[in-house]
Amino acid sequence: MPLQKDEAIVLTKKAYGESDRIVRLFTLSGGKITAIAKGGSKSQKRFMNTLEPFNHIRIEYFKKQTKTMARIENADIIESNSGIELNLKRICTASFFVEFADKLTKEGERNIELFNGLKGILDDVKNIEFTSSDIVFYLLRILGCLGFMPNFNTCVQCGRDVPDEDKVFFSRERGGILCPVCSQAIPFKSYPRGIIRGLSSFVRGDRCNGDLDFLTYAQDIMEGFISFHLDVEIKSYKLLKNLI
Amino acid sequence: MYYPEPIENLIINLMKLPGIGRKTATRLAFFLLNSDESYISELSRSLTDIKDKIRLCSVCYNLTEKDPCQICSDERRDRDTLCVVEEPSHMMVIEASYPNRYRYHILHGVINPLDGIGPDDIHINELKLRIEKENIKEIIVATNPNIEGNTTAHYISEILKGSQVRITRIAFGIPIGGDIIYTDSQTIKSSIENRKDL
Ligand SMILES: [Zn+2]
Ligand SMILES: [Zn+2]
Repeated sequence: MPLQKDEAIVLTKKAYGESDRIVRLFTLSGGKITAIAKGGSKSQKRFMNTLEPFNHIRIEYFKKQTKTMARIENADIIESNSGIELNLKRICTASFFVEFADKLTKEGERNIELFNGLKGILDDVKNIEFTSSDIVFYLLRILGCLGFMPNFNTCVQCGRDVPDEDKVFFSRERGGILCPVCSQAIPFKSYPRGIIRGLSSFVRGDRCNGDLDFLTYAQDIMEGFISFHLDVEIKSYKLLKNLI
Repeated sequence: MYYPEPIENLIINLMKLPGIGRKTATRLAFFLLNSDESYISELSRSLTDIKDKIRLCSVCYNLTEKDPCQICSDERRDRDTLCVVEEPSHMMVIEASYPNRYRYHILHGVINPLDGIGPDDIHINELKLRIEKENIKEIIVATNPNIEGNTTAHYISEILKGSQVRITRIAFGIPIGGDIIYTDSQTIKSSIENRKDL
């Protein structure tokens, strides 16, 4: 059982007994792991407080094949969460993305793109105040990392181009827009063309600061899509929603 | 094989306590089964008492039997300063170091969006009202120095912007009797930033 060395983003923490802590980590090479840190001795206490949500850390851990939980031997800060605590919107934003990534991945799931995506978001949250359109933009990026990127370009069902009409049909279930033919068999909600175009440009990486209308629709699309594909609640979203 | 229903029920109820598994619960259940009648009635009375008699102080949200609580009614304590803490147990720790000195405000939690806990879920708004009403001069924010405690501290200072109250935060650094060798880099940084003239 060799000692694993890795980088990780701390997703969640939970106290365990008097001095131990159980954390969920998204590691660069090992993917998502749950690990226990024993805080009994002086040298162990030293790294306990690096195991705080949103920290980017270097860790050393043991993981037995037969055990579900890894055991953390050492941890060091690479980049601390400092800056996220400065206002409510920052911590709600950081929590939302971390919770989202956590709830959409399985134990042991590896995803370097997601690691980097999360890391980028946490760095940005510390330095800029996210607008509502930033949140939609980054959410699409995370969905992309997870392989859940909605298709805003061609019919998600048959692959044909969707005619340039005022209204475009979006299926939560299939995760994309529908052509008129396919829309006869699959439930959808229709949205103004400009909204779908805007989201499609977000997917390509073009940031635009949409107007209020755009954001309301974009939020509606994303919320519907996510709630369809995720059967657990994102607890931090209800708080974040009050702030955006 | 199950025990008779009353024993089984007791075991199941004991298992709901933190850190108690079936084995310990069974051991406790049999201890209780073999105990004196008088101990059992005293134990059950103290269990119902904590729900019947204990409530939150309407001023500071401390656990109390009478409202306002003993601390809030204590005239010796500083009228100008409030210590803001997360939990009643944290208040007890400060109280042990500074007996009869401060008044407190107990938040009953911290802002923790990952658990869905926002400012409205803890007693923060009540703190703001209280500061105005009691004309408090200083609040010492003694929440834990972690991401949730720090967020809560910043939020408190944010909502009190424009009021006259002085807002202070407890210091973070190397614990007395501690060792630099066993100190993490964030704590070292904090202790250097908060250094004092000798
Ligand atoms: Zn089609
Ligand atoms: Zn009181």
